Amino acid sequence: MSTDQSAATVESLTARFGDQIRYEQPTLTGMPVLWVSREALVDILEALRCLPEPFEMLYDLTAIDERMRSHRDGLPAADFTVVYQLLSVSGNRDFMLKVALSEHDLTLPTAIPVYPNADWYEREVWDMFGIRFAGHPNLRRILMPPTWNGHPLRKDHHARATEFDPYTLTVEGQDKEQQALQFVPEDWGMKRHNDDTDFMFLNLGPNHPSAHGAFRLVLQLDGEEVIDCVPDIGYHHRGAEKMAERQSWHSFIPYTDRIDYVGGVMNNLPYVLAVEKLAGIEVNERIATVRVMMSELFRITSHLLFLGTYLQDLGAMSPVFFTFTDRQKAYVVIEAITGFRMHPAWFRIGGLMQDLPKGWDRLMQEFVDWMPSRLDEYERTMMENSMVRDRTVHVAAFDTANALAWGVTGPNLRATGCDFDLRKKRPYSGYENFEFDVPLGTNGDAFDRGQLRIEEMRQSLRIIQQCIDRMPEGDYKADHPLTTPPPRDKMLQHIETLITHFLQVSWGPVLPANESLQMVEATKGINSYYLTSDHSAMSYRTRIRTPSFPHLQQIPALMRGGFVPDLIAHLGSIDFVMADVDR
Amino acid sequence: MAYTLTRANDAVAQQSASYPLGERQRVEDPMKQQVHRSVFTGKLEDVLNSTVNWGRKNSLWPYNFGLSCCYVEMTTAFTAPHDVARFGAEVIRASPRQADFMVIAGTCFVKMAPVIQQLYDQMLEPKWVISMGQCANSGGMYDIYSVVQGVDKFLPVDVYVPGCPPRPEAFLQGLQLLQDSIQEERRPLSWVVGDQGVYRADMSSQREKHRDRRIQATELRTPDSV
Repeated sequence: MSTDQSAATVESLTARFGDQIRYEQPTLTGMPVLWVSREALVDILEALRCLPEPFEMLYDLTAIDERMRSHRDGLPAADFTVVYQLLSVSGNRDFMLKVALSEHDLTLPTAIPVYPNADWYEREVWDMFGIRFAGHPNLRRILMPPTWNGHPLRKDHHARATEFDPYTLTVEGQDKEQQALQFVPEDWGMKRHNDDTDFMFLNLGPNHPSAHGAFRLVLQLDGEEVIDCVPDIGYHHRGAEKMAERQSWHSFIPYTDRIDYVGGVMNNLPYVLAVEKLAGIEVNERIATVRVMMSELFRITSHLLFLGTYLQDLGAMSPVFFTFTDRQKAYVVIEAITGFRMHPAWFRIGGLMQDLPKGWDRLMQEFVDWMPSRLDEYERTMMENSMVRDRTVHVAAFDTANALAWGVTGPNLRATGCDFDLRKKRPYSGYENFEFDVPLGTNGDAFDRGQLRIEEMRQSLRIIQQCIDRMPEGDYKADHPLTTPPPRDKMLQHIETLITHFLQVSWGPVLPANESLQMVEATKGINSYYLTSDHSAMSYRTRIRTPSFPHLQQIPALMRGGFVPDLIAHLGSIDFVMADVDR
Repeated sequence: MAYTLTRANDAVAQQSASYPLGERQRVEDPMKQQVHRSVFTGKLEDVLNSTVNWGRKNSLWPYNFGLSCCYVEMTTAFTAPHDVARFGAEVIRASPRQADFMVIAGTCFVKMAPVIQQLYDQMLEPKWVISMGQCANSGGMYDIYSVVQGVDKFLPVDVYVPGCPPRPEAFLQGLQLLQDSIQEERRPLSWVVGDQGVYRADMSSQREKHRDRRIQATELRTPDSV
């Protein structure tokens, strides 16, 4: 991330747009943050996308309700702020634009003509904040039910279910909700028939074995051929972002585990790193190495789950039995170290929950020795299987440009041959100290996405082996006043420390007012936490950018003209879980 | 043992009626009624009931239904290391119409609740519901606007499995508890024979049953070594 280049970009934008650029906000996000006027927004986005090293991807689009924020020193007046975060893969840098809105005029021009993946993000902002995007073709709710009243992420919307009347479902209510879920093709600009044929509308989901959870896809079919499709999400919206606004910085950690629920502690990592940036905590090498090791172990379990279900979606019954046996072996290690299986919530702000137990290296070594021959076997029996190849090679293929336009990251992006892995490009938590390769695909098809993940597991095993071989000595918690929970042995010595400890444990640490952001290469793509602190014991706004959300948005663009079995193969190859989409 | 009697009403439910439909009342074991005192008919019905229940409980077909994290642990219970086939419940059905029981494995969302209700309605009697994990039991750690605080707000739940998520072993224990409860059920042997109500046994809570033993554990192993 070159700061010179970023400064040059800011300068050229200021030269061209003059006072349309309102303010450059200093933050801890590691990227320039420009407040721009609403009128010039689309032109500025266009300008950034057409630079010599362009910002190819609209990485994230979200909003902040600023009405209750007290520390706004120097920021332009705003009731709501809409945030556009851009990513340049060629230049390996980021850029953030913010637009201030008044609560009486919550309208913005849509960014879809510049970045097609703005579509769902804008719908989400409409759903959650009630901000309108002029020119958006389908500005309707995306996460909440169509019958919902209010916009949940507004500060004046209730957070708890128990603040509200208890949930009841009546016969009448059931009919009404079912009616609201009916798909009306005309609403989406679809025709029911053309000159030759009447189309069939197939409702796949919200509960379908191939949909990997509560995900609904409505297909417009001409025989087997998919003419068009409309993904419908929001059946798994757990309100994690709203939850962050009422949990202390520390007690939100368990919620992060459940975002990408097969990613375990991998989800803790971007959150604790972002909080540590806010707090100014530096952790020692041992903590960083243990974090890398556990994250890579969870990458393997997640990819194993992917491999089993991907092949099961293709019709192979047995792989899932093999890969789940391996997952069970991994859980033996995970349980011995963290004490829990799927959601250990084991990382802490400024360290870990506890040190590695005695004998961990033996268990870990057993797992690392067990896996390689299994992976070879999977490759030989499954990926070299001619039926698997027939079903997946050149199916649902897309190139790098298409991937970037839709916001695709992670293994799915690398399957197109694009070498962009944050662990190499922007090493965090000490990844620069490890030797590993970044596997790449060539065709960007369903086969490459599967094959690449087998290779990624091998690389993760290499990283874990290096962790076993040279685990540094050191403490498992940083010595910093904001480390949570504070080291206990110090508390037992001194009354002042005891008071601080008590406040920190009961109320939680108060973090300085600022904004920070951390991206990590998670199991499914780039996952990041964008934290806004208002000098309080809780986050003012936590934005969780998850990789699976854009991956699902891309489906219609890929599947038009494909066949239903290809769609199933594609769904299997994306590797998504609905909690990672709806949060 | 106390029983809960549910009678299905053939009439169309009123618009204002809320789920779960049907009247419930606490009753005594119907097999203890005067009519069953006769050695011949009483024993015969008892044996028939046990035989049918034995068949039902050992061939439970689960509905392939998952919502969130718990579903991964439920699937783990279905695969080789835990092997749910030992309990006769490995025939996973993709259609609710062929399934015997539904595991609400995960969070029940406001947007998903009407869908769950529809799927439950599509299952044929006899049918059962296992609520797996804290979200399905009570909303758990998600006391938030989009989450129904427990699936029992609209579905009749037979077994609650605690945990976030429960281990696969816990799911298997839940399944066995469901089997135990099915063994005690009294259902009509045919649609023309006898009382048409469904009598479900009120099984005792595992927490109370095992409390004495559990609180005797005073020294727990330290987590400092594996």
